[in-house]
Amino acid sequence: MERYCSGEAAAFRELYAAVAPRLFGYLLRMSRDRAQAEDLLQLTFLKIHRARGAYVIGADPVPWMYAIAHRTFLDAVRKRKRSKVHLSREGDEMPEAAAHISGKPLEDVADRDPEVTRAALRALEELPFKQREAVVLTKLDGKSIAEAAAITGATPGAMKVRAHRGYVALRKALAGMVGA
Amino acid sequence: MSDRERMSAERSDRGDRTEGQLDQVLGLLGEQLIPAPPLSEQLESELADLKPAPARRPGRRFWLVLPLSLFWGVAVLWMLELRPDLSGLPELWLSLYLGAWLAGFVLIGWAAMVPRAGSVMPNWRYAGVAAVLAGAGFVAAGLLFDRHVPGSSILTERSVEGFVNRAHRCLTWGMITACVPLALGVLALRGRVPVGGYWAGAGLGAAGGCLGGLMLHLHCHIADGLHLGLVHGGLVILSALIGALLIPLGANRSLSSE
Repeated sequence: MERYCSGEAAAFRELYAAVAPRLFGYLLRMSRDRAQAEDLLQLTFLKIHRARGAYVIGADPVPWMYAIAHRTFLDAVRKRKRSKVHLSREGDEMPEAAAHISGKPLEDVADRDPEVTRAALRALEELPFKQREAVVLTKLDGKSIAEAAAITGATPGAMKVRAHRGYVALRKALAGMVGA
Repeated sequence: MSDRERMSAERSDRGDRTEGQLDQVLGLLGEQLIPAPPLSEQLESELADLKPAPARRPGRRFWLVLPLSLFWGVAVLWMLELRPDLSGLPELWLSLYLGAWLAGFVLIGWAAMVPRAGSVMPNWRYAGVAAVLAGAGFVAAGLLFDRHVPGSSILTERSVEGFVNRAHRCLTWGMITACVPLALGVLALRGRVPVGGYWAGAGLGAAGGCLGGLMLHLHCHIADGLHLGLVHGGLVILSALIGALLIPLGANRSLSSE
């Protein structure tokens, strides 16, 4: 990041290669639409690029980048006024929805236990937005509660509750789906 | 083992298995790195013209904003003159109150502008909490701990009109004093608060309000508790609200979508 801020374009490419897959995964899991996630990723990096002067030397840029991605996603949802459609349980059919949670064709993910994986992905998709975000950040992206809270602008307590509720809902849904 | 106990044990066993499977699947999904698409043309073209960005040192910037804001507060005070009852007020009360205003300005401003070590984003949560505490604290302190010098201080008439007239002047000059730290804060926070902008703005506003309160404390000789609490203390709340509304717009221009 420091080399990039000092004007090295190659350093930006290295940064992109290292961070973009993680941000793309996050945006993909949140938007559940590959085309939209790709647009949001580009927009996120454009914002990072334009705000690079905000970087503090020696600081970890990843939470800041995630926070920009989070804000970009929320801006897009608000702008298009389609958040309810995207988040509704019985919402419009979304192309490749199951594959998009992981970003890969489901078969690639579900090598080990296809039934459980499918059920987990379906349950994750159906979680309310805030719970899904909390589960994605803490369980999938490996962020701590404090980091996830800083990224989303929530309090750590609220983030903990959302992650827990999301996880419990996932477990229940999974038990129902697999047991059925 | 009774049927009931057996069923309960089976349920618990099934629950543990589901949890284990869920953890396994989530772990599996989390481990996957999804290949990102290539850079867009717009990003490529901006990269082709990449210029070095000046390194940001928030601490240093804060120590620049601080004296400039204080200088502005002194300049406003110089325009308005010191309160005539200053020499008659209890020294301890006066210095404690001045210290509280100054500490509010410095500490809340620091929380709103300077990130923790290793972080790019400022402590907007602390800044927001400090803004709320400062607003409530200065209102309560004004209402409870007022002091006046008989014959030299002014006590407001117990009429709404009289109160509002005197309040209007103090709030106007207090906000004029607060506007400089607010403006400098917007410049310092540009691009740094993608989340928590309202709270950071409230913190910065409250810090500006504390500077306004400090100035008013040395200028305004209306000394009754109602005026001190609701107007001088209320200035912190008003300034925090203005900061919360305006700062995110100004500070996040570089992060806006288009």
